[in-house]
Amino acid sequence: MEFFNSHVLSIMTFLPLMVAAVIFIVPDDKFARVAALGGSILTFFVSLHVWHYFNSGSAKIQFVESYVWIPEFGIRAIFGVDGISLLLVMLTTALTPLVILSLWNSHVANLRYFFGALLALQTGMLGALVALDLVFFYVFWEVMLIPMYFIIGIWGGARRIYATTKFILYTVVGSLLMLAAAIVLYISYHRQTGIYSTSILDLYNASLDPTTQLWLFGCFALAFAIKVPMWPFHTWLPDAHVEAPTAGSVILAGVLLKMGTYGFLRFAIPMFPLAVKSFAPILVFLGVVGIIYGALTAWVQQDAKKLVAYSSVSHLGFVVVGSVALLADGSLSVEALTGALYQMINHGVSTGALFFLVGVIYERRHTRMLADFGGLASVMPWFAVILIIATLGSVGLPGTGGFVGEFLILLGTYQSSPVAAVMSATGVLLGAIYMLTLCRKLLFGPVTHEENKKLKDLSPLEFSYLVPLALLVIIMGVFPEFFLAKSKASIEHLAKNYRSYSLAIDSH
Amino acid sequence: MFSFPEITSAFYYTAAPVLILVAGSMIALLQGVSTGYSSRRAIETVAWITTFAAIVAAAAMPTEHADYLAGGLLSGTLARVGQLAILMISAAVMMMMREHHTAQSFFRGEVISIFLMLISGMLVLVSSDDLVTLFVGLELASIGLYVILGYVQPNRRSQEGAIKYFILGSVAAAILLFGFALLYASCGTMRLSGIVAALPPIAGHGWVRLGALLTLVGLGFKLALVPFHMWAPDAYESAPTGITAFMATTVKVMILTVALRLFSGAFSSLSDVWYPALIILAVLSVIAGNIMALVQSNLKRMLAYSSIAHSGYMAVAICALSATDTSLPVRAILFYLLTYVIVSLGAFAVVMSLETPDNDQLTIDDLSGLAKKRPGLAFAMTVFMLSFGGMPPTAGFIGKFFVFNAALNNHLYGLVFVGIIGSTISLFYYLRLVVRMYMAQPVAPFGAVNTANGRFSLTNLVLGFAVVSTLLLGTVLPAEIMDRLVGAATEVARK
Repeated sequence: MEFFNSHVLSIMTFLPLMVAAVIFIVPDDKFARVAALGGSILTFFVSLHVWHYFNSGSAKIQFVESYVWIPEFGIRAIFGVDGISLLLVMLTTALTPLVILSLWNSHVANLRYFFGALLALQTGMLGALVALDLVFFYVFWEVMLIPMYFIIGIWGGARRIYATTKFILYTVVGSLLMLAAAIVLYISYHRQTGIYSTSILDLYNASLDPTTQLWLFGCFALAFAIKVPMWPFHTWLPDAHVEAPTAGSVILAGVLLKMGTYGFLRFAIPMFPLAVKSFAPILVFLGVVGIIYGALTAWVQQDAKKLVAYSSVSHLGFVVVGSVALLADGSLSVEALTGALYQMINHGVSTGALFFLVGVIYERRHTRMLADFGGLASVMPWFAVILIIATLGSVGLPGTGGFVGEFLILLGTYQSSPVAAVMSATGVLLGAIYMLTLCRKLLFGPVTHEENKKLKDLSPLEFSYLVPLALLVIIMGVFPEFFLAKSKASIEHLAKNYRSYSLAIDSH
Repeated sequence: MFSFPEITSAFYYTAAPVLILVAGSMIALLQGVSTGYSSRRAIETVAWITTFAAIVAAAAMPTEHADYLAGGLLSGTLARVGQLAILMISAAVMMMMREHHTAQSFFRGEVISIFLMLISGMLVLVSSDDLVTLFVGLELASIGLYVILGYVQPNRRSQEGAIKYFILGSVAAAILLFGFALLYASCGTMRLSGIVAALPPIAGHGWVRLGALLTLVGLGFKLALVPFHMWAPDAYESAPTGITAFMATTVKVMILTVALRLFSGAFSSLSDVWYPALIILAVLSVIAGNIMALVQSNLKRMLAYSSIAHSGYMAVAICALSATDTSLPVRAILFYLLTYVIVSLGAFAVVMSLETPDNDQLTIDDLSGLAKKRPGLAFAMTVFMLSFGGMPPTAGFIGKFFVFNAALNNHLYGLVFVGIIGSTISLFYYLRLVVRMYMAQPVAPFGAVNTANGRFSLTNLVLGFAVVSTLLLGTVLPAEIMDRLVGAATEVARK
């Protein structure tokens, strides 16, 4: 127990990878699905332990573990969570078992490798969220790519190879620049202090001149902007989503995209505070363009999955706008930042559910074109209920998590820049239009296609992974405080003190 | 003044690997002409015994820096590391050749004799402080390679490759020799350690600068840096794959060892000459190597261009040697070299396991669907490709990290930027291989029977070793390795 308590984050991070290794060795699909589900649920319980014992009142880094990797170059593995990463960790550990459930009866080839790749991906995501060392962050950041590359490339649609190559090349361009910037930062810190360290807890204290900060922020921001993805770096996303299998899309939209916005909060903003002032207007501009462009493009899509993919571009535009809402006194808006974090979780839940739902109808009809459906509400009533809940969560109706997130973002952004807030607000309106269009075309009206009359409603298995998400959409709307209490202190600390940011270690 | 060199037991320890190889080479030559001992088995026995004896001797070599025969022979960490690397590669290549369809023509008296002799030339090269001995070692190695390239499988293509390599290699040797001659004429000494002392006062002199530049060009030829790379793709493609693997790895080891001695030691006062030139070579190699690799369909040709690009990355790290503190760049180069050698050997081992007598020019399409038929091979190749592309958690990432680290430490921002662009391009063709293996349908039956899944074979042993070390070097071993290279780094920095 002592060991468990002092290594809880590394256990949580590497447990999925170990299960993946077992799955790769044992050549049995039935065993693989049991092991994968068991492993991911176990991981979820470990993360619940972290959630439960997390000290909400503290902005410090908690559950810290530190290992030396290359002592001479000051490269250490430091793991820790604070209020910002905790929520995303929970999102990751909660979403993965659901994704594995969705593949329970799947008949795709080499299913066990699919499970293995998903679990390896989970290790990458959790590692990137808990790593507080630039090199380890980078390693996990890249390790995430490889399973996703295979998931899209092996189990994807017809143009999967084009999509997966585009996905990986886009991301790698950004991340290599980020690596170079990280090394420059590391060398500058060494020049100042004589100490080699890649720990961001040390690097927060590096005092760089404004020009260097601009360059480094630019390199980090580019990597994150591609990952988010922000307009105009978003073009890989629709391709990747359309070609990815449902499970891949859910993880991609649910967690992977959040790595970009998380990167801004954890790395780019607090490490290069002097550049924030120059970059904030650019990021807000690109975010607003993304909101509107994503929404308009989603509106005209004929393919349900593409529609949801473009809605992600729009929703993540909100997150970016909320992350860099500078107030007159130079601090970041606490409301907007809280909203941005909350919106990340919300988007993960509601868009995850939407991708699952698109997967459900695709599995039955092997088409995702809106024109091929209509009137499903009478044929598949439960499907309709869940789709409507997810849609409402996505458009931000009061009573769903989406409302809390978007409202807070708009509130904070308004204090920072009314114009940006008004422009973003049109995104909410457009969001309602395209999402309700999706609902109308799928669910209502007469059943025009003969095949649709015989469609089966949700199976118990589909319920098992859709109901938790639907419940979460509502719970997050009704009890936001339950979630936000954990991150309040960290967010306030970041918003107020990002210009002289430091993270203390909580040793309890 | 010539004085008869004092011969001590330490000298014999230092010279032992070379002497053993020469002796083995002579025995193999005699075996080749004697009727009783020219069987493949007898010749193999001699080859193995010689190689392993040489490895043991190299491992036992003293690590104190000392020189014998007026600088002709050095002992020390760098010499020992270089010799061990070359010998182990040779052993691995022999293991792979043994199961290849060209084994019968490789394990012949005269071929093994030349093979052992050229290895001895390489050993001389990595442990010499004297320009003439360096050159003799280099030529011994090169001439052996020319012969083996065309002789093991005497067909039109391999002879064409051998001739191309021979002509361009000879031009390179002549240029290098001219450079050495100019240096000697200006400095009055053949010893690298003497040149270090003699250079600073005459560093501005035109002949000296030309000498350094020509030396750089000569080494650039051997390293296949663009624009001196023309021989490499043809030679790689036409040689029997085992020889390609041998050439791709050992030549890099020996030339980079010499480059370390020259650029961080002897030429340190001439950095304003070779440094800009090398930057150009590095940029061209990284960009052109990667772009040319993109359009190749022949697997070995693709690997050839990729090795040109990797030479470029190593050249980036050599550029960082112009800094005052050379410890990091030297170790970055050696680490990168280590990972490159292991990964290349592994990749060529995969190619060799798939080759058949009917199809020994594999194209990238021939790998389609490999993951379904030979999952182990496909997994190994994926690890190698990711490592070549510099993705964590493989050795390639750590190597690239150290190289970028060394270069940025020396303010080479532009070079690192070029490296990043090159890396991105390279990922495209490395991953294309992965795409073919995992995401396409099989088109042809795969490869030789004796290396099939699950069966023990020496090729699989090399492969397994390469996969495990690629992963270990990317995760738990870097600190240990970098620690061990400190000795080599301080030795090179000795002024």
